[in-house]
Amino acid sequence: MEIRLEKFCKSFGPVKVIEDLDLTIGDCEMIALLGPSGCGKTTTLYAVCGIHRVTSGRIWFGDKDVTALPPQEKNVGVVFQSFALYPHLSVYENIAFPLRIRKDSRADIERKVNEMAGVLHMEELLDRRPGQLSGGQQQRVALARALVRRPEVLLMDEPLANLDAGLRLEMRSEIRRIQRESGCTSILVTHDQVEAMSMCDRIALMNEGKIQQIGSPDDMYHRPENKFIAGFIGNPPISFADGKVEDGCFVTEGLRIELPDRIKGAAVSAGQNISVGVRPEYLRPDFATPIEGEITFIETQGREVLYDLTLAGGQVFRSIQSGEQVCGVGDRIRWGIDADSVFFFGEDGNRI
Amino acid sequence: MRGIRRFLPALFMLPASLSVTLFFVIPVFMTFVFSFTTMSSDTGILGSRYIVSEATIRTLKDGDLDAALVRQLDSRVFAVNEAGLAALRKSNLKPTVVKEIEEKLSGKVYASEKQLFAALKGLSNRPRSFKDRKMVSKAVVQTLKNREFTTPKEFRAGLASIGIEVTDDVFDVLLEVANTSWKWTTGNYSELMASDFTWKILANTAFYVVLTLFFNVGLALVLALVTFYMPSGQSKFFRAVWLIPRVSPSVIYIMLWRWLSFDGGFMSYILGFFGVQPENWLNEFPWTFVIMANGFVGASMGMIIFASAVVAIPADVLHAAEVDGAYPWQQVRRIILPLMAWPILFITTYQTLSLMTSFEYILLLTDGGPGFFTTEVWALNAYHTALSNYYGNLRYGFGATLAVVLVAVGIAMSLIYLRLFDFKKLVAEPQIEN
Ligand SMILES: Nc1ncnc2c1ncn2[C@@H]1O[C@H](COP(=O)(O)OP(=O)(O)OP(=O)(O)O)[C@@H](O)[C@H]1O
Ligand SMILES: [Mg+2]
Repeated sequence: MEIRLEKFCKSFGPVKVIEDLDLTIGDCEMIALLGPSGCGKTTTLYAVCGIHRVTSGRIWFGDKDVTALPPQEKNVGVVFQSFALYPHLSVYENIAFPLRIRKDSRADIERKVNEMAGVLHMEELLDRRPGQLSGGQQQRVALARALVRRPEVLLMDEPLANLDAGLRLEMRSEIRRIQRESGCTSILVTHDQVEAMSMCDRIALMNEGKIQQIGSPDDMYHRPENKFIAGFIGNPPISFADGKVEDGCFVTEGLRIELPDRIKGAAVSAGQNISVGVRPEYLRPDFATPIEGEITFIETQGREVLYDLTLAGGQVFRSIQSGEQVCGVGDRIRWGIDADSVFFFGEDGNRI
Repeated sequence: MRGIRRFLPALFMLPASLSVTLFFVIPVFMTFVFSFTTMSSDTGILGSRYIVSEATIRTLKDGDLDAALVRQLDSRVFAVNEAGLAALRKSNLKPTVVKEIEEKLSGKVYASEKQLFAALKGLSNRPRSFKDRKMVSKAVVQTLKNREFTTPKEFRAGLASIGIEVTDDVFDVLLEVANTSWKWTTGNYSELMASDFTWKILANTAFYVVLTLFFNVGLALVLALVTFYMPSGQSKFFRAVWLIPRVSPSVIYIMLWRWLSFDGGFMSYILGFFGVQPENWLNEFPWTFVIMANGFVGASMGMIIFASAVVAIPADVLHAAEVDGAYPWQQVRRIILPLMAWPILFITTYQTLSLMTSFEYILLLTDGGPGFFTTEVWALNAYHTALSNYYGNLRYGFGATLAVVLVAVGIAMSLIYLRLFDFKKLVAEPQIEN
C-alpha cells in the first residue's frame, strides 16, 4: 500500500514545524527519514499514524484519504521514540495488547506473541514488567508490539538506538526481513546514516521541516543535491572550503582545483564565489591535484587513520587513510585530491 | 560534629514524632482508658466523693445489708456537741438557756427529737416555746444524708458522728454504694454489645460510608477523566467550579442544601412547575441529601488528585494505546485506571476513614434525624453520647467506648485496603539490567 503525503503542514500554535511536505512511499517500500534533531521527523510520523491532526494537506494510504482518520481505524504499527510501553503490564501483555483490543482468540494471541518473542529473543523476559527491563530490552518489546499484528504500515522512531552493536546488526536484518515478509510499507526514523543506508530502499533527508532530497543511499552519497546533504551524509563528514572561480579553476589559498568541463563554461563565470566539498577518502598522498598544508590533528581509528589538514588560508580538510599513521601533528605535507570526485556548490548551497 | 550528625535525623523527626504522639497516640490512649470508666456529667471526671443519698439508701435496702443498719443510716440523731452549742450561742436564744444546755446536756446523744425535747423539759432555764425547742433540735441534729465526704476516713468519721460503728466488711460495702464518683468498668463494652441501637447505628454507618464512598470516588474519577479529555481552558474552569464546596465553610454549604430542600426552597419551586406539591425533601429523602452533600465535597478532593495522576501518565503511552486500536473508553479501562491504582487506593482509604470519623455535615443537615436515629452514624452517636444530647447526661465513658471502636475499625480498614490493592506489587521493583 502506497503512502502519500501532499502539501502536509503542521504547526504547534504559532510555530510552523512542517511546511508543504510532499512524500510518496511506494508499496512495500521502506524509507528512512533522516535528519538532525528537531527537524520534524517524529511530527511527520505522528501525522501519518493519526495521533496529531495535520494543520493542512492530505495524507493518502493507497487511494484512501486518511487525513482525518483516527489512529484506531488504521492498521499502523508504531515504535515510539520513548518506547511508550504500558508500565503496569507484563512484557507478554504489552505485546498482546493490540491483539486483545482487536479481540483475537486466546490461542491466536499466545501463538503470535510467542512467535514474536522468539524472533526478538525475549522468551525469558515475558513475565517481567517494563520497569524491570534494560533500555535495549524495552526497545525490543516496543518493536514486538508494533509488529505482532502484521500492520499494513510500520512506523519506527529510532527503533535501534538503544541496542548494542551486535544486536543492532541482527535487528536491522530482522526488521528488514519481517518488513519484506509482511509487505508493509514502512518509515524508519533514524539518526544513523549507516542504518538508513543499509536497511532502507530510499532515504528522505529532512531539515527544518522540509525534505531536502529523496533518493537511494548511493544517490545521497555520490550525488547530493546541496551542501546540507553533502554535509549530513558521510562519516567522517565531508570538508568544505570557500573560494573563487579563476581561469576555469576553483581557487583558495593553498589549493587550486581544475573545474570539470561540464561546469567550466556554462555554470560559472570568472570571479564567482563558490565552495568545494571534498570527502575525506578523496584526499590522499597519491591523488593528482596537489594540496599543501600542516597536519593539525590525528585520530587513530584502528583500521583507518583520520588526519586534519589545515591550509595556509585556515581552511581545514579531512583525510581518511587505511594502514598505519604516516606523519605526525605539525608536519608540513603535500598530498593530493581526486578532482573528479569533489563537489562544487554555488552561493545558494545547491550543487553545480 | 560527628556526634551532632548522628542525632540529626532524630532531630529532624522530632517535630513529627512529637505531634503524632501529642495529637494521636496520647488522645487515642486516653480515649481507650476512659472507655473503661463510668465517667459522665453526673460523676464528673475528678476524684472520689462519698454521699449517702436517697438513691444510696434505696440501693442498700435492696442489698443484703442488715435492715436496722440501713434504717440507722437513714435516721437522724441529736448530739449536743461543741458545733451545735456554737450555733446556739449565735442564735437569739437566751444566753442562760444556752448556758444550761451546755452545762447539763453537753456530750449527750438522743436517738429522736422526742427524747431531746424531754431532756430539755428537765432543765430549769428551759426553752419555753415550741419554736425555741425546734431551734435547739435543728442546731444539734446530725444526719448522714447528702453530706459529701472526699475520703473513706472522713466517711467513717461521718458514720461515727451519728453513732454508727461498722465492721470493715460492712464499711467496704457502704463505701462502694456511697461512692458517686466514676468507677473502672468493662460495662461499656458489654452494654455496646447488648444494645439494639448499636446495630442500628452500625448499619447506618456502613450504609452511609459505602454509598458516599462510591458516590464521591466515582464522581471524582468521572470528573478527572472528563476534564482530561476536554480542551484545557474548559477543564480548568470546570475543576475550579467543583472546588467551591470544598472551600466554602461547612455551615454555609449546608445552609445551601437546606435551602435547596426545604418546602419553600429551590427544589420545591422548580418541581412546582411540574405540578409536584412542595415538600420538605430533606425529610422525605434524608439519606439522599446526606450522601450527596458529603459526596460532592469529597469528590472535589478526589478530582484534584485523580486529575493530576492522569496528567502524569506519559502522553506517548496513551498515543501507543490509540495506535494499538484502543478508543478512549478502552484506554481508561485498560491503561488509565490501572495506572491510577495508587491514587485510587489513597483516596478510597482517605475517604473511608474521613467518612467514618467526620460527622459535621450530618450534624448540620439532619442531626441524626429526622425522627429517631434515622441518619445517626457512629461518629455522630459518639458525639451525642459524650458531648451533646437531649437528656443532659453526658456519658463520657460510653462515648469513649464508641470512639475506641471507631479507631479500631479505622485501623482495620486501612490494613484491609493495603492488602486489597497488593501493596508490595505497587511499589516498583528495581530495574534489572542484563
Ligand atoms: N507538542 C509540541 N508543541 C510545540 N512544539 C513541538 C511539539 N512537538 C514538537 N514540537 C517542535 O517541533 C519540532 C520538531 O519536533 P520533532 O519531535 O518532530 O523532532 P524530531 O525530528 O523527531 O527530533 P529528534 O530527532 O530529536 O527526535 C521541534 O522543534 C519541536 O520543538
Ligand atoms: Mg523524534
